[in-house]
Amino acid sequence: MELIDRYLQAVKFWLPKGQQEDIAAELLEDIQSQIEEKESALGRNLTEDEIAQALKQRGRPLLVASRYSPQGQQYVVGPLLFPAYRFVLKVVALCYVMPWLLVWAGFILFNPPFRSHHSIRYDLLSVGGPFWNTIFIVFGTVTAVFAVLERMQSRTNFLENWDPRKLRPVVDPRRISRLSSVIEIGVNLTFIVWFTSGLWMRFISEVSGARIVLTGQWKVFFWVLLVIASGNIILSGTNLLRPYWTVVRAGLRLLADAADAWVFCWFFKAHLLAAISSPHLSPAQAAALRDLINTNLEKAFPFAVLACVLVVALVNVGRFIRLRSNGARPLQRWRRAW
Amino acid sequence: MAHSIKEETGQDAFENLRLELRRGCLVLAVLASLGEEQYGYTLRKILTSHGIAIDEGTLYPLLRRLESQGLLTSRWREEEKRNKRFYQLSAEGKLVLKQLLSEWQGIHSSLDGILKEAHCGTD
Repeated sequence: MELIDRYLQAVKFWLPKGQQEDIAAELLEDIQSQIEEKESALGRNLTEDEIAQALKQRGRPLLVASRYSPQGQQYVVGPLLFPAYRFVLKVVALCYVMPWLLVWAGFILFNPPFRSHHSIRYDLLSVGGPFWNTIFIVFGTVTAVFAVLERMQSRTNFLENWDPRKLRPVVDPRRISRLSSVIEIGVNLTFIVWFTSGLWMRFISEVSGARIVLTGQWKVFFWVLLVIASGNIILSGTNLLRPYWTVVRAGLRLLADAADAWVFCWFFKAHLLAAISSPHLSPAQAAALRDLINTNLEKAFPFAVLACVLVVALVNVGRFIRLRSNGARPLQRWRRAW
Repeated sequence: MAHSIKEETGQDAFENLRLELRRGCLVLAVLASLGEEQYGYTLRKILTSHGIAIDEGTLYPLLRRLESQGLLTSRWREEEKRNKRFYQLSAEGKLVLKQLLSEWQGIHSSLDGILKEAHCGTD
């Protein structure tokens, strides 16, 4: 009987305080009935091994106790909120953890002082390192928020209150917003006007008494930007008239974005600044300032490349994926059927 | 190898669906058996004798849940020199059982119709 007492004590440990005695008494009665029945069938008392076997069949104390938990409150994040939880985790991984890793990789690859103070072993693999700290904090926070929402949902059923009329309109992945086309045309036109009127072939600028002289490469830079901006206007104009993405136009947009990114990155590496002069600077100081600006721009080049690749890839790859997906088609078929 | 994994998955799926199917039926069987006062052990015996095997780890939590929903009443009473907890349908439980049985019969006849039709279609 000592074995049964020990079993019941272990079950009670995992039960809610207010129900411990009641449930344990009922379990005891059930175990005694089972043993009595077996004993009368065998015509003798059960051995300790046989009792142990009978208890084992009932399951671990933790498992037995868990079955008495109120239904619907056993989850940190329950099935109702789990799809949203998984979605938020994916967004956090894509928009926070991935950029964190890429920036870290950029620093490790292109910044020797950073590299000398950091290592893959500590930063990425060590449990106490910055990467796992970031993971624990970010994912822990999301889980904690959803755990609170789960509790609120189980008490108030706030997810039951919804209105189908407030659902967002159906999105056609191929549709191009006319507003965004108009904005693109406006921005590119403004840029061209400003660029051609204010910076037309200007190699020398006067800013607050200081004289800034650019190298001959500025001419190439100028024409390339002008061509890209003009191309963007033509593409956005076509998009305005025919507001649906096609593979050809998505490809052209990718090329235009890649060209923009290339020029932007080139700007960092081109050493466009030929000379600076100012009444407040000696020629040596001015030359040092020029070199400092050019060198720092060059140092920032890898990060500019990284940022451009990320932005261009995220925007354009997403567009191609949406174009290839058949998301809208079943709905269209459904509508046609009506 | 792939075949045995598939077989195992199919077996798992069957087991999950079987448990799901049984879950609702068990509630009905328990309610239907408690028109007269029973304690847990005898109730389990009654269900088993009718071909519905239920382990104590499922039965007792279910009885408590049904009691907390007001469908059962329970009281401790001494019988054969031992304290036992006896359960019985409450007035509300009787009403709910009646509704559930009508639902069950509706489902049964609908399913029967579907199965007959499907059987005709496959013949």
